[in-house]
Amino acid sequence: MLSRVADHIYWMSRYIERAENIARLMQVSVELLLDSAGVGAATSEDYWSPVLAATAMEGPFRELYPNPKPGDSSHFLTLDERNPDSILSCIREARENARTVRDQISDEMWAELNQLYLLVGSARGKELLENTPQVFFEKIIQSSLLFDGVTSATLSRTEGWNFLQLGRVLERADKTSRFLDIKTQSTIPSTETALEALEWGTILRACSAQASYRRVNGTEFTLERILEHLLFSTEFPRSVRFCVRTADELLHNISGTPTGMYSNRCEKLAGALLARLNFSGPSDVLERGLHEYIDELQVALNEMGQAVFEAYVLIPEDALRTAHRLHGFDPLGYHFQKQQQQQ
Amino acid sequence: MDEGAGAGLSNFNHVFEKDHWLACSKNRYPVCFQEVNQVGKPSATQGRVLLNSYRPANLFDELIDAHGQVRPYYQPVAERLFSLAPEAVDQKVKNLELLFLKQGVTFTVYGDEKGTERVFPFDPVPRLIPGAEWEVVEAGLIQRITALNLFLYDVYHEQKILKDKVIPTEVIHGAAHYRPEFVGVQVPRDTYIHVCGTDLIRDRDGRYLVLEDNGRCPSGVSYVLENRMAMKRVFPQLFGSTGVRSVDTYPADLLAALQYIAPRQTAQPNCVLLTPGVHNSAYFEHSFLARQMGIEIVEGRDLLVLDGFVYMRTTRGLQQVDVIYRRIDDDFLDPKVFRKDSMLGVPGLVDAVRRGNVALANAIGTGVADDKVTYAYVPEMIKYYLGQDPILDQVPTYLAWRDEDRKYILEHLTELVVKAANESGGYGMLIGPTATKAEVEEFRQKILATPRNYIAQPVVYFSQHPTLVDGALEGRHVDLRPFILCGETIKVLPGGLTRVALKRGSLVVNSSQGGGSKDTWVLAS
Repeated sequence: MLSRVADHIYWMSRYIERAENIARLMQVSVELLLDSAGVGAATSEDYWSPVLAATAMEGPFRELYPNPKPGDSSHFLTLDERNPDSILSCIREARENARTVRDQISDEMWAELNQLYLLVGSARGKELLENTPQVFFEKIIQSSLLFDGVTSATLSRTEGWNFLQLGRVLERADKTSRFLDIKTQSTIPSTETALEALEWGTILRACSAQASYRRVNGTEFTLERILEHLLFSTEFPRSVRFCVRTADELLHNISGTPTGMYSNRCEKLAGALLARLNFSGPSDVLERGLHEYIDELQVALNEMGQAVFEAYVLIPEDALRTAHRLHGFDPLGYHFQKQQQQQ
Repeated sequence: MDEGAGAGLSNFNHVFEKDHWLACSKNRYPVCFQEVNQVGKPSATQGRVLLNSYRPANLFDELIDAHGQVRPYYQPVAERLFSLAPEAVDQKVKNLELLFLKQGVTFTVYGDEKGTERVFPFDPVPRLIPGAEWEVVEAGLIQRITALNLFLYDVYHEQKILKDKVIPTEVIHGAAHYRPEFVGVQVPRDTYIHVCGTDLIRDRDGRYLVLEDNGRCPSGVSYVLENRMAMKRVFPQLFGSTGVRSVDTYPADLLAALQYIAPRQTAQPNCVLLTPGVHNSAYFEHSFLARQMGIEIVEGRDLLVLDGFVYMRTTRGLQQVDVIYRRIDDDFLDPKVFRKDSMLGVPGLVDAVRRGNVALANAIGTGVADDKVTYAYVPEMIKYYLGQDPILDQVPTYLAWRDEDRKYILEHLTELVVKAANESGGYGMLIGPTATKAEVEEFRQKILATPRNYIAQPVVYFSQHPTLVDGALEGRHVDLRPFILCGETIKVLPGGLTRVALKRGSLVVNSSQGGGSKDTWVLAS
């Protein structure tokens, strides 16, 4: 498979997963807002602050909206084109990556993603968000899940499949850990009410983990059990450990190296991280400090992503031989592409 | 090739505009719609809601003959289509365009930050070509492409046709796309143009005329295949027992033509499609063809040249490439040889081609054959190389540097379209019938000063075809772009892309200015 194609497929699924997670987090936050309306003096903006923090978008938001008005933050998270991680931008990126590798994915995958893109970018999408935000978020989540299902049912289990799943699970692990971190973001000003309100139940639901948690633990929420479920579960498919284990398997599928060994840096990092998760538990997390632990986790996940890029896309030794830029958007290249005449 | 009218629009659109000087505003050709006849009483068919309102114009009408009767070969289709309720047909077309949008069967509109994609408008009334008529067109196209390939071989080798003074040397050496550095370079199978899209129009008498040969990167074939799929899906009842020749084999034929020129004749030579990238207007087509052929679609940055061989970067390292179906122009192919600032190409690619380690389709330098001035000499080429008379006529072209031609041009300036030989698009062009006296005089002086720079052609009228417009059937101008593949044998895709000017009276088949397309049916008999 072409290196560039692998890169596009990886990012396609990462962006869909990202959109889905933001949508789910916003969905539960909207519900929470409705539940507690009138309870305190908290404004809707307070509820979005943790969301912004959990998606690492607080800084860019403050930059674009120095004096935010009601509705700004929710627009920023959903349909703001200036925010590269808004739901709209994520879906557009996913779809643009898919369009580039259209010949590599199934027609059904393309159709599902393209329809979602057409909806979200349309006036109808905007209406849906304004009138029935829950339905809007539901649509994003369902579409992402449907894409996953269609992929599973139509895509051959070749390298492309492995890269696609890799993008998904790395993004999923990242988001699960970030959502868990919402509770520890106590440094954000004027959000105490919101933090109070964002109960553990909400975080579990944002990770689509409430039902599975209850099946194991009943209705009582304790920090240890929640950590066990979201970080260390070997059964729950959105737990960090489950995702890292899957990533490790996928990497070994790609290279053909037996599991437990490594042939490149990303396999080494995946194996090391998996071992850490395999041989630690909630008590270790609390000992280290939840926020610190999650920070380290995210650094490790990022490094893995970078190592995948270096191993399979960059091919560093021959990258030196060419002047072309390998990655990222290039206005000049864009210009040339359009200039190129088709008779 | 940029031009004013299409500024900011897709390249694919430019194609549609390029040199279609007829494609100017409708009021320049008032004659087209002056004399409108009411169709004679339709023959024994029921429910002709649509057909009753149809008015053929005083030029060649694809549906109605000179006596106001539906042409016999259209009868079965006309009966089925025109008996449908217009609203139902309209609704089906709307659904179809929505389907195209969902499937991403679009072209990109430039000049828009978001890279807006549009559906190429589709007209459901198929254009029919009787089998016998097509045989002549097909033979003419095969004859023409054979001559063009012989000409290219000659120009890039011994240049006999120049030495024999059939074509003036200056014409070739002055052509913008002539590549002198490729003289003497061997190309696989001595073939230069492997994929050609020749534009045809029909004059008042229904004669097919060649308007231009597109021998560099012709596009549009994906719409031919998509249109056929759409018609089968939405109007299956129209096909009935009408024997329509299939277009399905095009991708397989194209792949076979590519494999035929592979330097390594292995069981499965590695063929790739080289695209400018996802932002190019025709990216849908590139991706479509690659998928249909089951080959990789690559960008310049995916390829690299080592020791004169071309490789693609894969997740498993480098893999050698044998044949490149390139959809980028010569200028952008290799920054070491052509445009230094090109970011689309592959440094060292031309060297690999010279060494015969990789094959290009089409070969480098084919632009000299589809040049505006070279065009005037194609009939001579056919005689020179094949000893035959051209089967297909073309638009007469007067070359101002020939004394008698110049005399004719100057005497008939108000009837002709004059074009600057080395400029494209609308620049340096005079449309005689609508020009002011001052403009005509200005051109007279220009032609006298530098006759070598000018050519002239008479105004030609495109045929018209019934087209569904707001639920009613109206005549609209059409052209035809058949696609020709030169592999082990020469294969012409039955039919081709029929482009239709959706605006009344307009001769613009350009998608950016209300152009659309329709399915083209070559009948089996």
